[in-house]
Amino acid sequence: MEVIIQSLFDGALMGCIYALIALGLSLIFGVMNVVNFAHGNFVMLSMYFSFWVASLWGIDAVLTPLITFPLLFIIGMLVYYGIIDRTLKEHYTIQIAVTVGLMTFLGAITQLAWQSRPRALSYSFIQGSIQFGGYTIALSRLISAVISLIIIIGISFFLSKTWPGRAIRATSDDSDAASLMGVDFRKTYALAFGLGSSLTAISGGLLMTFQQVDPTMGLRFGLLSWCILALAGLGSIPGLLISGLIIGIGESLAMSFLGSQS
Amino acid sequence: MNHKKNQNLENLLLLFFLIIALVAPLIFGSNQYNMLLVTTVLIYGVMATSWNIIGGLAGQVDLASFAYLGLGAFTSGTLLIRFNFTPWIGMILGGLVAVAFALLIGIPLFRFRIKEVWYALTTCALVEILKVIFNMWEEIGGPVERYLPYFSGSLYHMRFGSYVPYYYLILGMLVIALLVNSRISRSKLGFYLKALGEDEAAAEVLGVNTRACKLRALVYYSFLIGVTGAIYANIYGFIHPSFFNGQESIKIAILGIVGGRGITYGPLLAALLLVGTQELLRASLGAEVSGLYLVVYSVILILVVLFKPKGIATFFQYRNKKPAKQEVKKKNVV
Repeated sequence: MEVIIQSLFDGALMGCIYALIALGLSLIFGVMNVVNFAHGNFVMLSMYFSFWVASLWGIDAVLTPLITFPLLFIIGMLVYYGIIDRTLKEHYTIQIAVTVGLMTFLGAITQLAWQSRPRALSYSFIQGSIQFGGYTIALSRLISAVISLIIIIGISFFLSKTWPGRAIRATSDDSDAASLMGVDFRKTYALAFGLGSSLTAISGGLLMTFQQVDPTMGLRFGLLSWCILALAGLGSIPGLLISGLIIGIGESLAMSFLGSQS
Repeated sequence: MNHKKNQNLENLLLLFFLIIALVAPLIFGSNQYNMLLVTTVLIYGVMATSWNIIGGLAGQVDLASFAYLGLGAFTSGTLLIRFNFTPWIGMILGGLVAVAFALLIGIPLFRFRIKEVWYALTTCALVEILKVIFNMWEEIGGPVERYLPYFSGSLYHMRFGSYVPYYYLILGMLVIALLVNSRISRSKLGFYLKALGEDEAAAEVLGVNTRACKLRALVYYSFLIGVTGAIYANIYGFIHPSFFNGQESIKIAILGIVGGRGITYGPLLAALLLVGTQELLRASLGAEVSGLYLVVYSVILILVVLFKPKGIATFFQYRNKKPAKQEVKKKNVV
């Protein structure tokens, strides 16, 4: 019983971060219907950027998103205007092909730049754990989960209250009608893609506080976020959170009862 | 008229390829490493060509090709190791096991109308699930490689001392896959598949039994790949759960898409060009800087997709001339 509750805690905390990763994908797929297979590799890329920034300038991993967020935003915009924009009118298989190409590219670039061995950072200042009636909660995970929640709430506020956010939602409902109302849909798409990619910067920074990174983990995060998206349904942020929790808890229960091999 | 011309061109290209492929061992045959490389490229060609049935014609992006490959390999390999059962029959059984699995998955998937990206993701997950199952299933798989019995030349065990016979076996599979492909694309089933690949709802309204058609496409595809899997196991001489490779399964689909969806020889062309380039780059650059060959490969892939979204094969196709279209338009206006 104790194991179950402990796994529930761990899984729920992890689930919040997963939900944050899936939120980026949800923006990209929900708004422009682009099948993005490279999303997991964006997470991996931002983990590497976090590692880089943190080890180069001695910044703590939690604070690295301050630098990597704009960086990933710019990369996302460039990718949109350079690649995705040209394939919007094509069959969706073309988008799969191009994003898989991008996925391979990002994986290869990181392999070139940081070699294949796993990289990890030294302890972050949110290291440590708190005891809670016999259960242990890692402080880094708790704070990461809280930050994820705050970001998710912030994004949902951005989508519902601000003009660019509303433009994104309008475009995702009906891009023709939105462009009749004066929304430049290409700019909105670029914004959504940039935002979706840069959200991975935050999750990457948070993941680096307790995890290592290697060039093969991209596909795992990609599939994981597609799973969450499939479970949540499109355009529902509470749904994302709930399915993130389900996936996270399921994963941690399976890990503690069936072994990490499965 | 263009259609007829394209057909002739297609046959000519395939004939040309076949002649080159038949004499290739005379050039490479002395070097076993090169022979293995060429065989590997052809295996990708076979898989991508088979993928064309489900992915190109029927428009279902199936990412489970290596699941069927692994099932074929494990069936024939296990029969050979345990019961000394000849792979010549084992590969047919491997194909049948792959078909059985495909039906087991395909019937519920198509029943609940899972399509487009969701179909792709489900099948992608399938490969990973099978990998885990075979990793834990100690009787058949397990984390340790299981080697096939070694004979330096035994026709019964399909074990040869050289890669040349395997090369011809795979070439035979390729010819079969191409024949099946072109037969299907000219048959009634092929037209149904093309119709439902373009617009499933419309095809259904017109009376196409989309579920049955997709299932039949899946059966052809999984059988071809299952049989190839049995040969694959014999080429490498062992069976291992790493045969269930999600990343490579995605690559097969990419080859099919890049080659030109629904064009019989497109996926083969893409496999020859892309996998060939990749293996060449790996051989020349891989030793010095790891990952560089993948950078070059992925840039080529992205550029090809951006500039030839209808497929590499459209380089070799006559296109409909534009003036003809304009004439039709004028008539309509008048």
